[in-house]
Amino acid sequence: MKKKLVSILLIAALTAAAAAGCGNRDNNENAADDKNTSNQENEAVDNDNGGEDDLIQEVSGSVYYLNFKPEQAQQWKDLAEEYSDETGIPVTIETAASGTYESTLKSEMAKSEAPTLFQVNGPAGLAAWKDYCYDLKDSAVYKNLKSDDFALISDDGQVQGVAYVIETYGLIYNKEILEDYCETNGAKIKDVSEINSFAKLKEVADDMQAKKDELEIKGVFASAGMDSSSDWRYKTHLANMPIYFEYQDDDLDTTDAIKGTYLDAYKNMWDLYITDSTVEPTMLSGMTGEDAAAEFSMGEAAFYQNGTWVYNDIAGNDVDDEDMGMLPIYIGVGDEQNQGLCTGSENYWCVNKNASQDDIDATLHFMEWVITSDRGRETFRDEMGFVTPFETFTEEYQPENPLVAAANEYIDSGKNSIPWVFSTIPSEGWKNGVGSALLEYAQGTGDWDAVKKAFIEGWESEYRAVNE
Amino acid sequence: MHKSLKRYFPVFAFPTLAAFTIGFFIPFVMGIYLSFCKFTTVTDARFIGFGNYLKVFTDKTFLHSLWYTVAFTIVSVVFINVLAFAVAMLLTKGIKGTNLFRTVFFMPNLIGGIVLGYIWQLLLNGILAQYQKTLTYNSVYGFWGLVILMCWQQIGYMMIIYISGIQNIPGELIEAAKIDGAKPAQILFHVTIPMVMPSITICTFLTLTNGFKLFDQNLALTNGEPSRMSELLALNIFNTFYGRTGYEGVGQAKAVVFFLLVTIIAIIQIRLTRTKEVQQ
Amino acid sequence: MEVKKVKHGWLLTVFFSLLTVAWVFPILLVVINSFKKKVYISRKPFEIPFGKMFVELENYVRGMEKIKFFDALKNSLFITICSVAVIILCTSMCAWYISRVKSAFSTAMYYLCLFSMIVPFQMVMFTLSKLANMLHLYSPIGIILVYLGFGAGLSVFMFCGFVRGIPLEIEEAAMIDGCTPIQTFFHVVFPILKPTCITVAILQTMWIWNDYLLPYLVLDIKRWKTIPIAIQYLKGGYGSVDMGAMMAMLVLAIIPIIIFYMFCQKYIIKGVVAGAVKG
Repeated sequence: MKKKLVSILLIAALTAAAAAGCGNRDNNENAADDKNTSNQENEAVDNDNGGEDDLIQEVSGSVYYLNFKPEQAQQWKDLAEEYSDETGIPVTIETAASGTYESTLKSEMAKSEAPTLFQVNGPAGLAAWKDYCYDLKDSAVYKNLKSDDFALISDDGQVQGVAYVIETYGLIYNKEILEDYCETNGAKIKDVSEINSFAKLKEVADDMQAKKDELEIKGVFASAGMDSSSDWRYKTHLANMPIYFEYQDDDLDTTDAIKGTYLDAYKNMWDLYITDSTVEPTMLSGMTGEDAAAEFSMGEAAFYQNGTWVYNDIAGNDVDDEDMGMLPIYIGVGDEQNQGLCTGSENYWCVNKNASQDDIDATLHFMEWVITSDRGRETFRDEMGFVTPFETFTEEYQPENPLVAAANEYIDSGKNSIPWVFSTIPSEGWKNGVGSALLEYAQGTGDWDAVKKAFIEGWESEYRAVNE
Repeated sequence: MHKSLKRYFPVFAFPTLAAFTIGFFIPFVMGIYLSFCKFTTVTDARFIGFGNYLKVFTDKTFLHSLWYTVAFTIVSVVFINVLAFAVAMLLTKGIKGTNLFRTVFFMPNLIGGIVLGYIWQLLLNGILAQYQKTLTYNSVYGFWGLVILMCWQQIGYMMIIYISGIQNIPGELIEAAKIDGAKPAQILFHVTIPMVMPSITICTFLTLTNGFKLFDQNLALTNGEPSRMSELLALNIFNTFYGRTGYEGVGQAKAVVFFLLVTIIAIIQIRLTRTKEVQQ
Repeated sequence: MEVKKVKHGWLLTVFFSLLTVAWVFPILLVVINSFKKKVYISRKPFEIPFGKMFVELENYVRGMEKIKFFDALKNSLFITICSVAVIILCTSMCAWYISRVKSAFSTAMYYLCLFSMIVPFQMVMFTLSKLANMLHLYSPIGIILVYLGFGAGLSVFMFCGFVRGIPLEIEEAAMIDGCTPIQTFFHVVFPILKPTCITVAILQTMWIWNDYLLPYLVLDIKRWKTIPIAIQYLKGGYGSVDMGAMMAMLVLAIIPIIIFYMFCQKYIIKGVVAGAVKG
C-alpha cells in the first residue's frame, strides 16, 4: 500500500518535472537568464525578508551542515554564503569525503561544535543516530512535504528525518552509439526499445563488444571501477536489485537475515559489466568514478550504470544531452516488461537536538529558506539539479536534465519504479565486504562463493553488530 | 646557581612541562586506562577489563596487518640501509658532481607523506596500467609500491648519515689495512663497517621505527585497499577507532599493543647493534 | 678531507647522473601532468600534454579554488613557524633547567622525554584529540601547545645532550656578575646553544610541516586546513578524485619545500647529521 502511494507521488513529482522541461539546455545560458531576472526577483526576496524580520532578529545561533553529497559541495557553500549575507546567520558547510560520511559524522558529533544539520541515508542509517534527532514535526520542511512517505517517522510519531531530494538511477546509455549499432550487420535489435530484459541486454552487449572497433568504442559498459569513488554503484545500487526482488517474494520491508535468492542474477549482471567492459577486470581496483564518467562522456562506452545526479559530470563533453537515455537495470528477475528505473532517496535531513536552541532555530530557518526562497529553489533546480519532495517546488522549479526526463518517461508509461531498498542494508561494513568480494571475483583472485558469503553471512553478522 | 635557578621553575620548566602533560602524559595514561574500557567518547568510559584485548587478537585484519607491517619493515630496513650505504660509499670517493647528487638524493625527504603517496600513485599506476594492473590489484603490489616509495624517500636521509660516518673513519686506518695487503672486500667488512657501526645503529633504528609507524604514505598510496589487505598497523588502528561506533576501546587496545611492540623492538635493536660498535 | 681520485670516476659520474634524473622523475611527472586535461591524466600519464590535452593553468586555478590553497599555505606556515619557535624557546629553557637543577623531578622529566620519543602517535591519538577539543586547542594557536607537548621529547633530549657539554664556569661567572638566571640564559647559554637550535628547528620543521594526522584530528578542519589535509581532502571531498587539481596542488605543495631546501640546504644536511648522532 505504502509503496503504491510512493509511486503515485513520484509520478506526480516527476510529471511536474517533465512539464518544466523547457528550452534552454546550456548552463551558461541559464545563468545569464538568472541574472536578467534576478532584479525582479530581488524585490520578491525583499518582501520575504520584510515578513521574516521578526524571526531573524530572534535567531542568534549558527548553522553547521555536514553535507553528504560531494557532487554538490561547492553549490552548498555558495548558497550558504548568500543566506548568511541576507540574514546575518553564519552557516558552515562541510562535506565528507566520498564513503566516509559515517566516520566524519561520528568524529564531528563528538566535538563541542557539532553539526546542527546532518544526514542519514534511511532507516538503517537512522538507527545509529536516532537519539540525536530533533523532532521536526513543527518545522517548515516537514509541513511542506508532499507526503509522510518522504519522512522518517518513529513509532511514537516523532519526525526524525525529512528527505530533501529524490533521485533515479539505471543504465544510462548513449543513443548515438546504440543507433549506430542497430545499423550494423546482424544487429540483434532494430531499436533501443527492444531491450527489455536481461537476456536481450546481454545478447546486444555481447554483440556490441564483438563489434567494438566498428562502433569506435572501447567497450560496451563504462568501467565498473571499484575505487571508493565508484564501488557504491555495485555494492549498493546494483545490490539493490536482488535485495528488492527477494523482499518482493517474501513480502518484507527489511530483514535481519537475507537469503540471497537472486544472487545468481546479481552474478550474471556483474559478469556482464566486467566482461563487456572498457578495461580488463584486473584494472578495476584502481578505476575511479571519474574514469567511468569520462569514458561515457567521451563516447568510449555505450552504457554506464549511474543516476540523475551524475548529469553535471557527464554534460559538456562529446555526448550531447539529447543522446543521453536511461534504461532499467534488467537482471533477469520478475516482470521485466514492466520494470522501471530505481527511484528513491538516501538523503534525509536530521537536526541535531543536542545543539543549543538558538542553533536549532537558526538551522530550521536555514532549511526553510532553502526550500522556500527563490534563490534556494533556483540553486536546487539549476546548480544541483534536484527533484525534491517539497510542495514549494512548483512546476517552474523542476530541473531540466535529460536523465530526469528519461526517468519521467518511464513513470509516464506506467512502468513500476523500483524503490531504494538498499537503505535497509545493515551497515557500511556489509557494503564493503560485498564490494571487496566482488572485486576479488572480478580480478580472479577470489571466487563467487566469497561474494555469497559476504552477502548472506555478512548481512547477519553486521545486523547483529549494529543492533547489539 | 643551583638554588637561584630552582626558584625560576615557573619560567624555565613550567611551560614545557604543562604542554608535555597535556600533549603527551595525560593522553598516554588515559589511553592505557581506556584500553580496558568500553567507550565512544572519553566521558562515557566503562571498565570492562581485558575484553578489548581479546577482540584485538581475534581480529583477522589486525593480525594480517601485523605480519604485513613486520614484513614491510624488514624488507624496507634492509633495502634502504644497504642501498644508502652503497650510495654513501660511492659518493665518498670524490667523483665529480658529488654535491649535486647528494642534494638531489636527499630532497624527497622533505616532502610530506601524503604528497609522496599521491606522486607515487600516479607513477606506479601509470606503469602498472601497461600490464593491465593497478596498485590495489592485490596486497603484493601495494607492498612493493610502499617499499619503493620508502626507499625513494629515505635513502637520501640515511645516505647523509652514512657519509658522515664514513668520513669520520681515520684515513690511516684504511691505509694501514692496505699496506697489510687487505683486499677491498676485507677492508669493507673488517674496517669500514665496524667503524660506521654507530651510524648503522642509528639508521636501522630510524628506518625501523619509521617503517613500523608508517601512516601517511600508506593512507595516500593505497588506503589499505584492496579489502584492507595493504593496511599497515597504524592505519588499521586508525580505521578501528573511526570506522565503527563501539570499537573505540578495541582501537585503543590495539594502540597499546602497537606501542609495546615498537618499544620492545626499539630496545632490542639498540642492544643488538650497540654491542657490535667499536669502542672509540 | 682529501680523497684520492678513483679509477673510472667518470663512469660513476655518468651512473649517478642517470640515477639523479631517475630520482627527480616522479616529481617531473607530476609537473607534466599538472598541465594536462584531467580526463587524460590517469589514462596517459607519460605523455607530454599537447593540443587538446594541454589546459594551461586551468588545473591550478580550479585546485586553488577547491581547497583554498593560500589559506592552507597560510595555516601551514603559521603553525610551523610558531610551533618551531615556541618549541625551541621553551624546550631549550627547560633542558637547561633540568640539566642544572639536580632533583628527582629533573631526572624523571628527562627519562619521560626519552620515553615519549618512542611512543607511536596512535597510542595517544584518540585521547589527545579529545583532550585538545575539551581544552579548545583546535585553533592554529592552540595546536602550537599540542606540538610543544608532543614534540618536547626529542627537543629536550637533544638540548640536554648539548647543555651538558657547556662548562659550568661560564654560567657561574655570569651569575657572579649579577645576572639573574633569565639574563644568564639569554645572554650566555642561548647563544652557545645556537647550533643545536638549528638542528632542532630543522627536524621539527620537517615534522610539523608535513604532519597530517595530528592536525587532522586536533584542528577544527572546517575552519583551518593545513596543506597535507587540504591535499588529502581533494581525494574524496568532491566525490571522485579530480586528478587535474590534485596534480596542480601537489606541485604547489612541493614548491615551498624546494625553496626552503635551496636556501637552507647546508643547515639541513648538517642538522640531520647532528640530530642523528645525538639521537
